[in-house]
Amino acid sequence: MNSYLSTVFSKVGSLLATLLVISLIIFSLVELMPGDVAQMILGQSATEESLRELRQARGLNDPFFTRYGRWITGVLRGDLGDSIYMQGVPISSILWRKVGHSLFLALTAFIIFVPVSIVLGVIAGVKEKKAADSIISFTGLATMALPEFVSGVILISIFAVRLKWLPIVSVIPIGQTLFQNLDILILPALSITFVMFGYVSRMQRSSMIIVMNSDYIKAARLKGLPERYIIFRHALRNALLPTITIIGMNMGWLFGGLIVVETLFGFPGMGSLLMTAIKTRDVPLIEACVLLITVIFALSTMTTDLLYGYLNPRIRFKGGQR
Amino acid sequence: MKKIAVFLVVVLLFSSLLFAGGAAEQESTKKSLRVATQVPGLITMGIWDGQAFALNSSIYEYLIEIDANTGELVPVLATDWETEDGKTWVFNLREGVTFHDGSAFTAEDVKYTIERTQDPEIGHLKKNDFAAVEQVEIIDDYTIALHLEKALPTFIYLFTDYNMGILSSEYDYASKGEMYPMGTGPFILKEIIPKESAYLVKNESYWDPELPKVDELLLYFVGDIDASVSMLESGEVDVVPQISPIIKKRLDQQEGITVVSPYQENRFIALVQDREPFNDNRVRLAFKYAMDPQVIARSVAQMELNEGVFYNESFILNEQAEYLDIPFRGRDIEKAKELLSEAGYPDGLSVDLYYASDHPYGKELSQTIKELSADAGFELNLKGFTRDVYLSQHWLNVPMSITGWGARVDVSMLLSYAYHSEGPWNESHMNNPKVDELIDLIKAEVDYDTRLGYYHELQRIFFEEGTVINVQVPYLVALSDKVVDYRQPLTMLPQYKYTDIK
Repeated sequence: MNSYLSTVFSKVGSLLATLLVISLIIFSLVELMPGDVAQMILGQSATEESLRELRQARGLNDPFFTRYGRWITGVLRGDLGDSIYMQGVPISSILWRKVGHSLFLALTAFIIFVPVSIVLGVIAGVKEKKAADSIISFTGLATMALPEFVSGVILISIFAVRLKWLPIVSVIPIGQTLFQNLDILILPALSITFVMFGYVSRMQRSSMIIVMNSDYIKAARLKGLPERYIIFRHALRNALLPTITIIGMNMGWLFGGLIVVETLFGFPGMGSLLMTAIKTRDVPLIEACVLLITVIFALSTMTTDLLYGYLNPRIRFKGGQR
Repeated sequence: MKKIAVFLVVVLLFSSLLFAGGAAEQESTKKSLRVATQVPGLITMGIWDGQAFALNSSIYEYLIEIDANTGELVPVLATDWETEDGKTWVFNLREGVTFHDGSAFTAEDVKYTIERTQDPEIGHLKKNDFAAVEQVEIIDDYTIALHLEKALPTFIYLFTDYNMGILSSEYDYASKGEMYPMGTGPFILKEIIPKESAYLVKNESYWDPELPKVDELLLYFVGDIDASVSMLESGEVDVVPQISPIIKKRLDQQEGITVVSPYQENRFIALVQDREPFNDNRVRLAFKYAMDPQVIARSVAQMELNEGVFYNESFILNEQAEYLDIPFRGRDIEKAKELLSEAGYPDGLSVDLYYASDHPYGKELSQTIKELSADAGFELNLKGFTRDVYLSQHWLNVPMSITGWGARVDVSMLLSYAYHSEGPWNESHMNNPKVDELIDLIKAEVDYDTRLGYYHELQRIFFEEGTVINVQVPYLVALSDKVVDYRQPLTMLPQYKYTDIK
């Protein structure tokens, strides 16, 4: 059998095993969370009696593994359960809309930061120790050091408060869709770009420097190939590999990191939903959100591994197969 | 190279698409009231804790409501009511009212709503209060009589409670209540996106043709208060409830925005009567002598005393009619130290103070009283927890606590909950036969002046040997200047039907 295919299968297998373990961890961690769901729903004026009744009615008194089993079998069937708060409202009806919004935000950020960081990283690498390199490297370091909630506030005060070009808050007006309000995506996407730009451009720069100093590039130069041809045809292909890993690894982070950005901008995505769920101790909703973030993280890591293998023949053809 | 060029073009196209989007503002002549509010919990009447005020009080309606300006009872679904002995209550109901699904409102619906409080499946928060109803008698479609097991002269006020909105006896609230809430209220829910927004339109067949004043009510559920305030500042919403004093200070300097305080809330500092050290009244008095209401007002809410923040040593708001104005005892550290010495604490003492750190004013108040009482020799160990943890794991079972209490229009309700020795939420473990007796007398007394006399006597007892310090903080709502006539009485329910937009 093709060894690449078997790698794919083993990766998918370990992914599933990881997710199963993770699901158990998520469930236990949420279990450990202080606070009481029944109390949270009933509020201050709840009596012991009504608390007991509510716990009973929601199955909160069942043993741990009974509840875990009920949850995980539901998840496998695609049933994420009902929100604690909205009786009779399945989580899937709340969740997928927000996930869609978040994915779209992540995609927007991706489309902005990937080309920008790679191009600038290449320039910095090629012009090593020149003015362009210093500026790009410094900017990368500065934006990377700024947390999203700081860069977000800076962006808001410039583009929304001073210039009034973009909305301060990324809320979708009632009766409209995200696609009618694409301008609300820009500032959140830029704050994500700020953070990602540093990582990606610096990785691209250093791998570019290594490659540009390697023997085969020297040979190409000696052959008299034009510099541009060398950079894009020979160097970039190899220098992209570590960058792709970094981007892939960070996709998962990006999705989790959206919590801060979405809360700051009031964007109706999965991050702000998770935040609300945590604040209100909506346990099934927390579990669903965290599990989904884990799935996205695991999937993006796996895709990166596979892509890396595909792009790098040394891994693809391991064992001498042709 | 070619590929990169194509890629860049795609990026450019995409970003131009981004900028081209938005600005799709719909021009309309409709009057809309837009509110950025907290994410609601459960919507159906019964067990909601009041987070969803804006939504619920617009969809549902009550037999009676409270006039936000005068505090008097206003007939809504009941046109009038009478009782001879406080034991039998007869209500005449409004005719010609329909639910949003078109069905007629009748006595049957009132009966259903009252009997539903006793349904064990629901865990209704008014179960104990309405347990006193022995029989609900439908006299005709628009007349209903309630027979109580004992005389309760202020029973009528129970119907102003936010969980007592009238439900339709024919509607399936258990399965539809959360996504399709339905009542007789001034607004009809058109669409709700859970945890995001709700769109309500004017109820065209509302029984009062003058109301509601606006055509649509748009509610944005925003978890973060700063994001809500940003929406107000950028003109995307008109109303933001429950802001902090710090935000108020900032907004006060901003043109086009006003901050109002429709009512006060209690913060009860409970000095628990059967736990050390407050089991000795001298220690409670020492603590009271160490307080400085003006300092508390300024550091907790950045306001002057008696202008937004009020202070007393009893169970009642200073603004309520039953309040007895007992002058503040004055801060006297020497006296406090003396009392502590007498009580056997010449070197001061240490006590754990439990509070909800995420509840408005919680952190500020605990910190302030810690510093004030330190002068007299108290060492408060601050034990702050998130509200649900505080309420479920510590409240009612600690030597000292700070708890937020909404005021009750009928003060006797709060008294029997919190200060009767058998009260379910007697957080200060008050156990004083004289207090119990007065509370029982108040609950059964028909004559207003006699009842007032009991209230005053009770407040004098609280001043001498009470277990509570009551710091009253404002509930703050930020409004854009376009909003006309915002009303929210002590029941905490906003009355958006009266609100207009300029």
